[in-house]
Amino acid sequence: MSTSHPQSSQATVSRRPRTGLAATLMFAVAMSVTAYASAQGTPAPSPNATLTIGIGVDLDTVDPAQQTTTTVQNVIDYGLEKLVAFDTQGKIKPLLATSWETSKDGLTLTLHLREGVKFHDGTPFNAEAAAFSLERLISGKVKVPIGAGFKSIKSIEAVNPSTLAIHLKNPDPNLLPNLSITTASIFSPTSATKEGNTPTNIVHPVGTGPYQFTRWNKGSEVVYTRVDDYWGAKPYYKTVSFKVIPEANSREAGLLAGQLDVIMNPPVTDLTALSSNPAVKLIKAPSDRSVFIAINVTKPPFDNEKVRQALNYAVDKDSIIKNVMFDAVNPMDSPFPSSLTGYCKVGSYKYDPAKAKQLLAEAGVKNLKVTLATPTGRYIQDSQFAQAVSGYLRKVGIEANVRTMDWPSYVSGMQQKDAPFELHVLGWAPGALDGPTQLQMFTGATMPPKGLNTSFFSDPAIDKLTAEAALNLDDASRNQQLCQIQKDVWQKAPWIFLWSQTLVLAHNAKITGVSYVPNEKFETLGAHPKP
Amino acid sequence: MSGFSAYLVRRLAAAVITLLGVVLVMVLLVRALPGDAARVIAGLQATPEQVEQVRQSLGLDQPVPVQYWRYVVNLAEGSLGTSARFGTSVLAEIGHRLPYTIALAVCGTFFGAIFGIALGVLAATHKGRWVDAVGSMLGVAGISMPVYWLGILLIVLFSVQLRWLPIGGAEGLASLVMPTITLGVFSMAVVSRMTRSTMLDTLDQDYVRTVRAKGVAEWIAVRHALRNAFIPILTVIGLQFGTLLGGAVLTETVFSWPGIGQLLVQSINNRDFPLVQGIVFVFAAMFIVLNIVTDLLYSVVDPRVRLFR
Repeated sequence: MSTSHPQSSQATVSRRPRTGLAATLMFAVAMSVTAYASAQGTPAPSPNATLTIGIGVDLDTVDPAQQTTTTVQNVIDYGLEKLVAFDTQGKIKPLLATSWETSKDGLTLTLHLREGVKFHDGTPFNAEAAAFSLERLISGKVKVPIGAGFKSIKSIEAVNPSTLAIHLKNPDPNLLPNLSITTASIFSPTSATKEGNTPTNIVHPVGTGPYQFTRWNKGSEVVYTRVDDYWGAKPYYKTVSFKVIPEANSREAGLLAGQLDVIMNPPVTDLTALSSNPAVKLIKAPSDRSVFIAINVTKPPFDNEKVRQALNYAVDKDSIIKNVMFDAVNPMDSPFPSSLTGYCKVGSYKYDPAKAKQLLAEAGVKNLKVTLATPTGRYIQDSQFAQAVSGYLRKVGIEANVRTMDWPSYVSGMQQKDAPFELHVLGWAPGALDGPTQLQMFTGATMPPKGLNTSFFSDPAIDKLTAEAALNLDDASRNQQLCQIQKDVWQKAPWIFLWSQTLVLAHNAKITGVSYVPNEKFETLGAHPKP
Repeated sequence: MSGFSAYLVRRLAAAVITLLGVVLVMVLLVRALPGDAARVIAGLQATPEQVEQVRQSLGLDQPVPVQYWRYVVNLAEGSLGTSARFGTSVLAEIGHRLPYTIALAVCGTFFGAIFGIALGVLAATHKGRWVDAVGSMLGVAGISMPVYWLGILLIVLFSVQLRWLPIGGAEGLASLVMPTITLGVFSMAVVSRMTRSTMLDTLDQDYVRTVRAKGVAEWIAVRHALRNAFIPILTVIGLQFGTLLGGAVLTETVFSWPGIGQLLVQSINNRDFPLVQGIVFVFAAMFIVLNIVTDLLYSVVDPRVRLFR
């Protein structure tokens, strides 16, 4: 693979990392050392306290490579660690690797590993062990549903016990973010054949994390116990119990009854009541999930940019957010949610029905009838906000009928160019918080069946710039490219841009220190009762 | 061969044929579900190759008759296949969850039977008085109350307000109380209506009048009547048990009860064909066995009923 300007991008690559990376690294290391100790002021570990967390879905696997769900990742993260991780801002911080550098040609990522760390089964953590877990992701022998981010890896080499080299097929600025996701967790190689584990299916994960996996009662509970010789700051709670409670009202009742300390996603219609309840603390954590209405641009008149822009002006997002979404979402002001690297604020399609009508008139569109498809219960208030959107479209003369479908039919339908609907509600969350995964929604190469660009939108200039940005190792110039793409996509409007969801958490007001990572994950390692 | 074992063999043979039919309908229906199962199982971010891999591993690329034949052959070997989502044996997944659902259905049935019969008898013996009115009211309420609503109401009362019971889960007997009530109320209502009407018929019979004329205590007369009114009541209870197995789906969701109902909903949403088929198969098998057992119980309750010659 080559970019159209190999010389210039090489030049910038060789200049930047030395200064930029070194400074970032020193800062990051310093931050991670002090993060737990000072910022959170966690009291001494309790000998017996239990933290009970209500989650909405049961686990389908505890194998980090095979999972597909953020809740599952969230649970697995208590026991397994990655080489690097995201902080609450979505920036990469050291974890099992303390520092790293990319070679001049961008084809080798070298990571320096934390020394003196042991897995929960006593096996020492070293480069061999790290290579064992990562090789699983590229071996082809294990199902890795979220494995697209590791495709650039050619080979993995344990240079010495504390140095790991990852050799690449092509420069890949997104490898590091991908090493931060749960899929890239490191587990004990000795454990791979014990306690029911096989190299291709892990049922009892053994990692290096602050807690160790203790038991999983399918359909009801997953329990983790604190590791007393953990290498980092020890959390307060001895035991963390994840209770599987599919029904949001039941989770809320559990919190109010004092049987649960923290719950994920309380019923959105009760957010107002919960926020005024002094016994409860509500957290709306920004996330990486944008929710939008994809417009099938192959169906006239939606091949006309003006019509698509008109749809964006026609919908009063602010009013829907307040009245239908109970403020559980943040309006989009770019095709990227703000937690993604490379995000830049582009603008807003402020509610303007007159302008919408004018654009429709300019496009020569009259008596337009469309079908707006939506799943039910997949995203916050999905079918409800679809109704609201259809109401707004009617006000500018577009007759929009809302059609609900079950999820599998939906997924299959939206991948057809000739689907029986022109508009459909969808959410997309790049778990590695990387721009390129978001861009898969707007490029010709990722139309179904290759990807989920279900508006079937493509633009030669955007495709070209996207391909260039994917190989550009220079942060500043890549961000410039990404920003330009966001502006272009915003203008061409293949979506009705709506909002990015928040991960809503509610916890007992008697505890403090519950935190989050902006890829739909919560974190309780710093949680403890209020003094 | 005695009459009884001949009867049993005949019933079991019929059961096997019924089950083969169930499998056929099930395989056809599951395939007729809209949507690309392989895509859903592989996940939205999966590559086309991964989706294809899933399709092949599930045998979904084969014609339906081949899929049916494979399923029956596996079944004959005692296997229900491997779950597409969990990667584990379907039998193991079901074995893990089924006891919870059965426990819940049994408790719900007992609750429904005991309170339903008691209410029905009271209503029949106090026909037209306030006890009867209250019984009727409870009956109507029990039938018309949505399971989901009742469940949440109980949680708010017993967990949030009184703080007596756990909101859900399966830890100890306390966590069985609310699901049992929620599940049992419907069958209580049905059983009480049935008991009341059959009891009213029976209490009018000549032999009951004769017993009363002899001057025995009223409860003895009622006991005689109840024994004779029992056959239709038993039928209803038997059928209710089957309904409860299915009805457990909502109750299990509200109370986070780790039973098979929850698993079924989850696996339909995941288009986990092997698991859906396994659960439906097990449900069908249980329903058939239940019917046989209910028929056998008739002759225990009423020796005049002869199932075989």
